[in-house]
Amino acid sequence: MIVVTGASKGLGRGICDRLISKGFAVFGLARNAGELPFPSMRCDVSSYDDLKAVAQRLKKDGVRVDGLVNAAGIASMNLAVTTPPTVSQNIVHTNLLGTIYCCQQIAPLMLRNKAGSIINFSTIAVALGLKGESIYAASKAGVEGFTRAFAREMADFNINVNCIAPGPIDTDLLSGITSAQIEHIISQQIIPKQFTPDAVSDLVEILLDERSRSLSGQVLHVGGA
Amino acid sequence: MPDAATVKSLVFAAITELLEDNSVSITDDTPLIGGESLLDSMRLVELCLALEDKSVELAFEFDWTSDTAMSKSRSMFRTAGSLAAEFINQMESQK
Repeated sequence: MIVVTGASKGLGRGICDRLISKGFAVFGLARNAGELPFPSMRCDVSSYDDLKAVAQRLKKDGVRVDGLVNAAGIASMNLAVTTPPTVSQNIVHTNLLGTIYCCQQIAPLMLRNKAGSIINFSTIAVALGLKGESIYAASKAGVEGFTRAFAREMADFNINVNCIAPGPIDTDLLSGITSAQIEHIISQQIIPKQFTPDAVSDLVEILLDERSRSLSGQVLHVGGA
Repeated sequence: MPDAATVKSLVFAAITELLEDNSVSITDDTPLIGGESLLDSMRLVELCLALEDKSVELAFEFDWTSDTAMSKSRSMFRTAGSLAAEFINQMESQK
């Protein structure tokens, strides 16, 4: 079973659909998981208690967890000095603490198997230092640091931990960003084109594949940075 | 359900099983974390998994990811004795 957060929309939903189409069993987590057409559970990743309940359910059901995809995330395009503290807190709670909490609660279910893959999500905004994304980038830089150190902690258990850092992918996260801003970001990528959610799902598939067992603690930039 | 002394010996036995030298005698004061610990971090996690299995046999759920477990100052992993006490406490609170 692959556990995917942010499963109700955007990249998370696309990843769920791709994995299911490739024959993976998927367990989706989302704040509004009610009507998802695959096994799922309501979960706010910024809530440690919610994640504990998820881990307890998976354990109780005897589910073997082979992978965790931490796709849940929120974005806010704003200058740091004009971002209200509650927005900053939400971004850090969801993006950074949400990723950490998921790993803390779901990784123990994988330790027993001594195998598995954990995929976290960052952003190309970290590598490019994008104006107007300082708080978002800070939360994701935290995810990258966590990924590298957590990868070492999990290596003894044969669990790989990597991070995918997309550029501007066409999802809800981009609402509120003008096309000129998107073009400007894309122009700074090594491959200056906008990639689709499919490109991200491709990388998820690769990182879940046995043939990527030599990769851990890495940040893979979609579009290159 | 076995008494506290029996459960404590089960916890100590689980620790012993993970030691390279299992002739070492485990006492209440045997440190499980820090420089003098007999277990490295990987073995400590394996101990948690082993105790999780034991708790299932004893019909309760051992939670090693709680605030108490994580907090360094009052961590249940300070010593073998504190770990056994927390294990027994969780068992009795779920009766």
